[in-house]
Amino acid sequence: MTYLVKTGVIGAAIMPHVTGLKQSLEEVLYDVTQRALRDAGLTIEDIDGIVTGGNDQYDGRAISVMAASGSVGGVDRDILSTPSSGEHAFVMGTLRVASGHFKTQLIVAWSPTEASSLAEVQRLAADPYFHRRLPQDEMGAHAMQANVLLAQMPGLMETAQKVSAKNRSNGQSAYPGIAADGEMGSRYPLKAGMASAATTGAVALVLASEDFVAEHKIANVAWISGMGWATDAAFIGDRDLSQSPALVAAAEQAYGAAGITDALASFDVAELADATPFQELLAYEALGLAKRGDWKDSVESGVFSKSGKLPVNLSGGAQSLNPVYCSGLIRIAEVALQVLGRAGAHQLENVRTGLAHAASGDAMMYNTVVVMRRGEQGVSP
Amino acid sequence: MELLKRQETWNITYTHALGETASWFYVQLRDHGKLYGKRDAKSGRVLVPPRAFSDQTLEPTTDWVEVGPGGRIETFTIVYEEFNGLPPPPYAFGYVKLDHADTAIGGFFRGVDLSNQEVAAEQLKIGTRVMTKVAEKRIGDVLDFWFEPSTD
Repeated sequence: MTYLVKTGVIGAAIMPHVTGLKQSLEEVLYDVTQRALRDAGLTIEDIDGIVTGGNDQYDGRAISVMAASGSVGGVDRDILSTPSSGEHAFVMGTLRVASGHFKTQLIVAWSPTEASSLAEVQRLAADPYFHRRLPQDEMGAHAMQANVLLAQMPGLMETAQKVSAKNRSNGQSAYPGIAADGEMGSRYPLKAGMASAATTGAVALVLASEDFVAEHKIANVAWISGMGWATDAAFIGDRDLSQSPALVAAAEQAYGAAGITDALASFDVAELADATPFQELLAYEALGLAKRGDWKDSVESGVFSKSGKLPVNLSGGAQSLNPVYCSGLIRIAEVALQVLGRAGAHQLENVRTGLAHAASGDAMMYNTVVVMRRGEQGVSP
Repeated sequence: MELLKRQETWNITYTHALGETASWFYVQLRDHGKLYGKRDAKSGRVLVPPRAFSDQTLEPTTDWVEVGPGGRIETFTIVYEEFNGLPPPPYAFGYVKLDHADTAIGGFFRGVDLSNQEVAAEQLKIGTRVMTKVAEKRIGDVLDFWFEPSTD
């Protein structure tokens, strides 16, 4: 894919665990937006378009953009909304800048836990003809995907538990005191410590074009050098759950644009979807980081650990903090902040390139891949 | 300061049209206790649950093919959280590729003692042959059928 205008992330804010009753949802959205704008050194007057990602069922409010527009600056300003996933808001916003039609974009996604049951909320996403009557939520679908992998690969449970332990340990360093160690409702074959309880969270990013960056003399930019997104079949009975063709396609698209051939050698840091550790493992393969035959050795030798060749999920991932609907966009924001050098407690030194993978839906149905680079290498013109 | 919460419950009833394809499927299930898939002529695949068109080829499906009652477990899970409109948990459900079908259909597993997870998981092991059972009294719904591990 050809981008007309080089586009980068110039600011981001992550609120991965909002607790208590001090802020209504709209106040959280105002807060996260203001934080992202401050991080970018801009005000809302500098923003010429907004894309939000929100889920009506999670919010308990139809047409999520109506809850958001006043909070994020959408009054009298261009604003669009997508319900498919938070990371899709990023894709749309990036394309809007890359097309040359906008100089800046604000991207916001959020995920409250105010519904009596997130499982029921997710069940509402199933078709009412064949699947709605089943007790199938996203974690149930993730569990069935794990089951398929476990049946094919004896001993994989141990490797998966090590991935969870890695991420949870990273989470305790990255977000001390708030990284959750709670559990999502149990679904076989997932074990304790493999799926964290949902948190309330919000995330915002500010995107800008090369011209805007030059004009405002912004020195620090996480340039988006490649991006890909693809979707698997909606009926999970149609899919081979041991594979993720959508992620393979998304990676090909992103790597093609960014000129990546050897993925493991190309990135300093990565944040991958890890609603379960089995998803992170699947992502290793689909993203060209480790084939399944090498999962055990790569995990055990620490390739993806904090001090390994490619640290994965230094933030702790969704294994540690999981505001479900915006966990994907948070992966992208975490990588952007690493590239910007502003990731906080878990900032790695000298990050020049980063890989973000966001997944959502049943058993990683939607997949988005983003490659970011510091410095002059931007999108391919 | 005192911080308030507001609880809201909405009870909205939706009446969804099933369309000709799902209607025919559920009428056969209700009246004859049989399951059918529909063939995507372009790929040759028999889609179960049946669809009016294939979302792979975007061609309309053509002929009906009776599937099952035997099949093979593609995947399963056991859920310990309660879901609305269902009996108390745990629930064992998953996806079964019925004989003559090319895709798997979701349904409940029965005839398995769920009180011991390890034993239940062994009985539902991926690849296990199952038999489709149908309720005596059927209304044309997913809950009219379920799968039990084959005894033969």
